[in-house]
Amino acid sequence: MDKKLGVYICACGGNISDYVDIEKVREAVKDEDCVLLARTTMFACGDSNQKEMEKDIQENNLSGIVVASCSPKLHLTTFRSVSERAGLNKYNYVHANIREQASWAHSGNKQGATEKAIHLVKAAIAKARFAKSLEPTRIKSQKSVAIIGAGVAGIKASIALSNMGDNVYLIERENKIGGKLASLGKVFPGNITGEDMIARLNEEVKNEDRITLLTSTKIKECSGNIGDFRIRLQDNIETGEPAVSEREINVGSILVATGFESYTPSEGEYGYKEIDNVITLPEFRDLIKNGKEGKELVFKNRKIRDIAFIYCVGSRQIKGENKYCSRYCCSAAIQSSLDIKERFGDVQVYHFTKGVRTYGSQELKYAEASRSGDIFIQFPDKDEPVVSSEKGVTLIKAKDILSAKKEIEAAVDLVVLVTGMVPDSDKSVGSLLKLPRGRDNFFNEIHMKLRPVETVIDGITIAGTCQGPKGVMESVNSALSAAVKTHSFVSKGELELSPIVAYTDVKTCEWCGACSEACPYNAISKSEEDGKVVAIVNKTTCKGCGMCLPVCDSDSIELTSFTNNEIESMIEILAN
Amino acid sequence: MQIRTKLKFDALVVGGGIAGGEAALNLANNGYKVAIIEKELSIGGKMILLSKVFPTLDCSACITTPKVSEISRHPGITIFTESDVENIEKRGEHNFIAFVKRRPRYVIAEDCTGCQLCEKACPVITKDQFQYNLVGRKAAFIPFSIASPKVAAIDMENCTLCGACEKACPSNCIDFTQEDRFYEIEASTAIIATGFKLYDPANLPRYGGGQYKNVLTSMQMERQLAPTRPFNTILRPGDGKVPDKIAYVLCAGSRDDSAGNPICSQICCMYSIKQAQLLMGALPMADITIYYIDIRAFGKGYDEFYEQAKGMGVKFIKGKIGRISELSNGNLSLRYEDIQSGRIKEAEHDLVVLSVGALANKETPLLFKGIRPDVDKQDFILQGDPILSPAKTTIDGIFVAGTASGPKDIPDSILSAGSAAAEALSYLTR
Amino acid sequence: MVSQAKILVFSTEKISDPAIDMAGLLKLHYPPQVYTIAIPCSSGVKPRWILKALEKGFDGVFIAADGSDCSHGESCTEKTGAIVGKTHNLMKEKGIDPARLKMAALCSVCSESFVKQIRSFNEYLLKSKNS
Repeated sequence: MDKKLGVYICACGGNISDYVDIEKVREAVKDEDCVLLARTTMFACGDSNQKEMEKDIQENNLSGIVVASCSPKLHLTTFRSVSERAGLNKYNYVHANIREQASWAHSGNKQGATEKAIHLVKAAIAKARFAKSLEPTRIKSQKSVAIIGAGVAGIKASIALSNMGDNVYLIERENKIGGKLASLGKVFPGNITGEDMIARLNEEVKNEDRITLLTSTKIKECSGNIGDFRIRLQDNIETGEPAVSEREINVGSILVATGFESYTPSEGEYGYKEIDNVITLPEFRDLIKNGKEGKELVFKNRKIRDIAFIYCVGSRQIKGENKYCSRYCCSAAIQSSLDIKERFGDVQVYHFTKGVRTYGSQELKYAEASRSGDIFIQFPDKDEPVVSSEKGVTLIKAKDILSAKKEIEAAVDLVVLVTGMVPDSDKSVGSLLKLPRGRDNFFNEIHMKLRPVETVIDGITIAGTCQGPKGVMESVNSALSAAVKTHSFVSKGELELSPIVAYTDVKTCEWCGACSEACPYNAISKSEEDGKVVAIVNKTTCKGCGMCLPVCDSDSIELTSFTNNEIESMIEILAN
Repeated sequence: MQIRTKLKFDALVVGGGIAGGEAALNLANNGYKVAIIEKELSIGGKMILLSKVFPTLDCSACITTPKVSEISRHPGITIFTESDVENIEKRGEHNFIAFVKRRPRYVIAEDCTGCQLCEKACPVITKDQFQYNLVGRKAAFIPFSIASPKVAAIDMENCTLCGACEKACPSNCIDFTQEDRFYEIEASTAIIATGFKLYDPANLPRYGGGQYKNVLTSMQMERQLAPTRPFNTILRPGDGKVPDKIAYVLCAGSRDDSAGNPICSQICCMYSIKQAQLLMGALPMADITIYYIDIRAFGKGYDEFYEQAKGMGVKFIKGKIGRISELSNGNLSLRYEDIQSGRIKEAEHDLVVLSVGALANKETPLLFKGIRPDVDKQDFILQGDPILSPAKTTIDGIFVAGTASGPKDIPDSILSAGSAAAEALSYLTR
Repeated sequence: MVSQAKILVFSTEKISDPAIDMAGLLKLHYPPQVYTIAIPCSSGVKPRWILKALEKGFDGVFIAADGSDCSHGESCTEKTGAIVGKTHNLMKEKGIDPARLKMAALCSVCSESFVKQIRSFNEYLLKSKNS
């Protein structure tokens, strides 16, 4: 091997050198194979040492460097940049962690810590001998985006992306846009109604030249990767006729905003479908919308004077599957109550809750409803209210925690079940795109805080309520966040992918499919090479996790930077 | 004469907490030049000081540190720590001018290696604001171990100019001659991410806030539970005893007109439930009771997290605390209305945590000269079009991210930062 | 000086290695004969690496698995478990005590758990070495 390596052992101002004899380490490694120079330094990360390293690399034409200092989590990029500045490919730099994993971890045992540091540096040198220059995989990215679902999240994301200069296909299965906004009344804060919002959004979408709106359209197939997805669409799905027209679009990224469905109570749940004046919140919103203002509210020829809202129907279930809180419903019910009083005058409203969750300034609406005479009753989690009908009178009975579990009974003209959000029952988009779901069955993000709008499928983002219950404002925030992320995938017209990927040895591979099955990214496929069926890794989809390595019986698959040579030479040195 | 350095950026972000940082990253990743103005010595805001975060219990530092280093290394982002915005003025569309004052650190940041030898040498001990005054720190100090930049600073208010740090510093980076530096920053858009203020417990005398030694704020408990914690265990400050009967008082300074804050702070229920779970881990024998009005576990996985806490044995008592009195042994007696039974009860605990709420940063609108952004009744930045463009303020071209527009948890703050970045990008391309 | 068992730890770059770093940061001591090689994901450890380590002189191998925190999907725990199972069989065939390979999930801040696990593994290995 003709590598020329430079080794730098950091004192870290005593953090390392107080426990590890760094001169001894230098002595022990300076004559290792390929080591051209070995230096100790007060602070490897310090500006002066960085400059010295650059000089060393250039003057001695080094082909690799080893830095023994703190954890690579802190300064990996620092030293990668040093290499690059000196004209050395950054993958030729190898790190040895002799602070967190030697000097500090064994601060009570100087000899042991020094011995360990020597081993760690020698192992890093061994790895550096095998290190290769690597270039990131560059792929072209389509400057267009597909947005699936034209509810408020999908529309807002489309407008934002169009503003940023991307071409957008906005795909909606219904024949109009707006999604569930239509069923919303006034939304707090801002007091804008769902219908007004749709009107505004329609106008804005029309004004954007870069948005291609495709209503009554479904996704049939999706293939490809980040930068280059191909989606087959089917139009005119309404007619039910066999594929009237089909088309294929080619996009760099996909933003999924397929929304939610309102929970449908089962028959008999709080008398639903059994007692005729038990309805759901969306049904109640329709009733308000169609009622004549100033007059009394009438349902099935009956004047409505007393209304009971029952909360958490389909959410926070004790027996059912839906353990989660649907977050928007407390405020939506309270807003509905305020709306009917404003539009239809005096109505007595009873709220049967599991604890009101009007977070943030929604609290002000809760206070307003209380002041206006609404009665709030809180039933115990495991002791739900009972709705019954006796001689044409609808009765609701519940224990009230707020008055020391007193039994409350109210005769009402209407029972409104405050139904929560459930995932869309049409699972086709999720399964075509292979999007993972969470415990709650909504689509799952990679990380709630670090990568809240990305999915494990590179290039596919999620927004709005398909990810979990949200209010309108929250859906818009998530939609715009997803739009920025999606834009960053397509805006430069080119993408850089990490070169740390798996690769197969076609000489020894006897296709068995085990690696392909183990791959969580569908990056390995069956292919023919010189008349032989083998496994081939797609380096644009591979994320370099290495899950395919241990399952290969013929040991024909390796991971860049973590090859048998590299790992086993390290093991041999550490074992000595 | 005062010299002002003139600089030009595409976007100005006021506040380097998680929301400001996220907004800046989103803009910089799309090719724009961004300046972050941060008043503290480190970016990372309140999040970097937290223990773990709900509902996943990942370590907050572990999430914040990589973000923070991404922000600080980004070639498109310039960070001004220890800097104050003196004023921002809109001179026209895409034309904002900010006057910024950078206070001296008395350390040459470029040369400091963060070795902490100055800290060892410094003879002055004062209260550590980053540990919420639970312990002391030196006058020459690194703000906290995961601070960014990890560069020392001299706290001139407490420094005796003894020169010990200067002698100890191996890279000769202590510089007592540093003075304020002034900048005039021109930007095409601005994002307000000035965050929130914690409710001051001194305004709650009936709970003994700031008065009884064994009544802590939730942020102080947060520090005790953090990986960079001041003690290696949980202690009550009065006598250093390890507590075994801990009470949480929710809505301390929230949902309370008499406390001057009628709204719900959105985060206290969840962080209290999280701390209770962490305490159960740290002190397996301890008894933990949460006194609440309503539990607001509304986010993704939150209600499940609340149920998990109940399953672990955290006690939840529905009742508002009327008064707390201090007993002679330092324990505290809590008087409350037990809603379940309808009776007034008393309970004794040896440590009380006030789950303090989130208030508006009232100084934010004052940073503006000429037209100021409107605020809501609680003094949060008013959202101009709250439902359909939540990041818009009442001034075109100025956007709001994170808790500057109202209380938010971390995921919501991050999403609102993305939203603000999207609006700013649209504005920049217009 | 009491001799210690020599242990090779396979940690993961994003999750368990940070936990091991933090053990150092908190000065939670463990024997210095414990060496760590960090890889992207614990479900990528090859059985031959483990066998190599045991043959070359390591007394034990410890896989600090990603567990449910793995960013490469939930199958990680199961797959790492399968590697351990497969290697245990290979070890039995070679007459190596399967208990010399151990796996445990470590979150990114599970430093105390790491030290506890490694100490008890060390004790086991020392005991079986001397018996």
